[in-house]
Amino acid sequence: MIDTDLAIIGAGAAGLAAATEAVEHGLTVTIADDNPRAGGQYFRQPPLPFRRNGQSWFDKEATRANALFDVLGHPKVTHIPDAVVWNLPEPNVLAVAAGDRSTRVRAGAIVVATGAHDRPVPFPGWTLPGVITAGGAQNLLKGNRMVPGRRIVVAGNGPLLFVVGASLVRAGVDVAAIVEAAPVNARLTAALPGLLAAPKLLRQAIDYRWTLLRAGVPVRTGMTAVAAHGEENVNAVSIAPIDGEGRIDRNRIERVDCDALVVGFGLTPSVELMRLIGCDLDFHPARGGWLPRRSTGFETSVPGVFAAGDGAAIGGVEIALLEGRLAALEAAVRLGRARDASVRRAALTHKLARIDRFRRAIERLFAAPCHYLDLLADDTVVCRCEEVTAGELKMRGREAWTSMVQLKSTTRLAMGRCQGRNCMATLASLVAQSMGEPIAKLAYPRTRPPARPIALGDLLHEPIAPPELPADPHLPRGQKVT
Amino acid sequence: MADLPKDTDILVIGAGIAGLCSALYLARAGRTVAVVERGEPWGDASGANAGTLSLQVKRPEVLHITRRAIELWQDFKADFGIDVGFGRPGGLRVATNAREVDMLRHSQAEQRTLGIEVEWLDGNRLRDTAPWLGPTVLAATWCDWDSYSSPLQAGRALIDGARRDGVAVIGGAAVTAIAKETKGYRVTTALGVIACNTLVIAAGAWSGEVAAILGVTLPVSADVNMLSVTEPAPHLIDKVVTHIGGILSLKQYPNGTCLIGGGWQGQGGLASGRKEIDHEQLMHNFRVAIGVVPALANLRLVRSWSGFEGVAADALPLFGPLPGRPAAYVNACARGGYSQGPALGLLMAELISAGRTSLPMERFYPARFAS
Repeated sequence: MIDTDLAIIGAGAAGLAAATEAVEHGLTVTIADDNPRAGGQYFRQPPLPFRRNGQSWFDKEATRANALFDVLGHPKVTHIPDAVVWNLPEPNVLAVAAGDRSTRVRAGAIVVATGAHDRPVPFPGWTLPGVITAGGAQNLLKGNRMVPGRRIVVAGNGPLLFVVGASLVRAGVDVAAIVEAAPVNARLTAALPGLLAAPKLLRQAIDYRWTLLRAGVPVRTGMTAVAAHGEENVNAVSIAPIDGEGRIDRNRIERVDCDALVVGFGLTPSVELMRLIGCDLDFHPARGGWLPRRSTGFETSVPGVFAAGDGAAIGGVEIALLEGRLAALEAAVRLGRARDASVRRAALTHKLARIDRFRRAIERLFAAPCHYLDLLADDTVVCRCEEVTAGELKMRGREAWTSMVQLKSTTRLAMGRCQGRNCMATLASLVAQSMGEPIAKLAYPRTRPPARPIALGDLLHEPIAPPELPADPHLPRGQKVT
Repeated sequence: MADLPKDTDILVIGAGIAGLCSALYLARAGRTVAVVERGEPWGDASGANAGTLSLQVKRPEVLHITRRAIELWQDFKADFGIDVGFGRPGGLRVATNAREVDMLRHSQAEQRTLGIEVEWLDGNRLRDTAPWLGPTVLAATWCDWDSYSSPLQAGRALIDGARRDGVAVIGGAAVTAIAKETKGYRVTTALGVIACNTLVIAAGAWSGEVAAILGVTLPVSADVNMLSVTEPAPHLIDKVVTHIGGILSLKQYPNGTCLIGGGWQGQGGLASGRKEIDHEQLMHNFRVAIGVVPALANLRLVRSWSGFEGVAADALPLFGPLPGRPAAYVNACARGGYSQGPALGLLMAELISAGRTSLPMERFYPARFAS
């Protein structure tokens, strides 16, 4: 058992910023992260023994990243890499599965900074080899300096498409097209004032766009991928325009040849642990879906549990860095350890407000222009673990459209090893559509441990007292009625 | 969603294994049956249990019921066209220390006197039969009756099957009042009133509450059993595995997932409605499982959950007429009621239709608790 003032889950931008802030207030910190090396997605490091050389375009953030990593060497910080926080044996105790380093962490306060994953949007052909998510493509590039193909289409919705597209160009890939569903050009004028609130970020965005322009990459806005084609690997993508009412015009389909398709329909916060903790969540599609309800101090509905960064609401790295700081500051206040909190809080909050204006402008620019369920065909696989197609779902779920819980047990959807990460959003959309209710009103199926799959063998290393066994195996066991 | 009929010959309260099987065999006997359920049909213990159909783990008192039940489980497909995901690989009941070996010997002898043969395995024969067992396993008994079904699949199939046979299965119809009529009962539910000639309480852990509406006290409490499932893995564990200490049930389904249970208790109870995972107890469950089958250590845990299991004070089934309440019966709380379900359903149909049962059941009558 590790006793710590502040437990942080996730060593990405928000988690590292929280740790940095926490040690400045003298807190002991335990930071658990599921990657072998800290950095999360944005500051992803190559696997050991590789090092950033600080030279290439991909290392342009090396200075800022290394400054953040410094906190892991601080004497008050314990970093548990390759770790999954999978359960809460007690409200303030985390069970950490990390091979033979598995342990429990008793914390005065908790900052959840679990980051986000790609929002899965099923469409015909999305399970073909050669189709990869935008986040996955970025990981390959940053973590392994690999590219998923030679001639690549990048399609979907959201600013990440432009980031990935530019990165692929820098890596020497022939980017066949960027296919962005939102009519961003038409929305640009209205968004400009907000974008100017954060000139540095705007410059960065222009840099991405410029990289694409210089490389002659066609940027097709107001269009969506409707199908990926191929036998053993994707070899072409069909794209179609979306009209002003959000209808996909299938009479004007174009086909683009490629050997890889990068799809990104935005990110969704990884809130499984917060569901397990019992934090209240609200549905905000613009910020990625289900989000923890937070106070102005980033505290969730569970006292002492804070949430920061993309794991709480999609906002990008700059917001994550500030929220991480602020959440740790509030935690320090809560623990009675922060001096001069108000000055510090005001400075951080001021910066955050500015970037938040930029963030809102980006959100308006990229607001989803169509309903993604319209992309489904009957033979489209919705649940990859249990191989349930949309058609099967409609047929088998006919009687069960009244609740997600019932549909889940009827179809086995979300019961596989992805624990619903790849299908729950689609399931929720389908049930909501069929019931004529907003997704926000649906009862979400209960989240059970583990928060992420863990090897059973890891658990042998967590020290526990021997069990008290019943003398007669057939008699009712001792009741623990609480 | 089906509508609540105004009246029915027989009304079953509870759409779990006991209720649905009672309804199924009563319908087969030509009776008109409706099943009302407080929540979702199959939504509680029956849907949350391990699906193990093991004969040799059962108490001596219910061995014959269970054997009959496994026959019926096996025949569901032929009899009703119901696919419950049944498999009969046989099972091993293991012992991991000298005391447990003694217990296993004793149990084997007792089962023999009751006409149930299980085979003793140890040493090389045990390793040849199950090379995947860990070194801590000293001996096991082999029972070729031991089987499994898939609770998810069985639920869907039984509800569909019952409906095909004309049974009205209605969820969201919690019973709030029961009035005795000249003939039969008038039952008020959340969805309206339904009249019946005969009443069957098959509400599992909630049977005590329902009987209390009729003014009858049943000594029922609830266990909070925990279960866990792993990711799919290549096929290895080709038998149902149980433990003489009653602390493990384990099997690998055809889809490759391994289901780990053993009656380890979660937290919560009927009164609060809470059924939470108890971390310590769950860890014990995994340790026992990995001790018996070490290869499990390499598999990833996907989900743990818990469910209520109703249990009578003596851990024997509550089966038979409700004392002092004519044309009212109970079929609930058989420990391991999932595996016994089809037989208890068939026997209930016999009792109601013919007034007698093909297996002796008097000892399970709720009257045994009448003071």
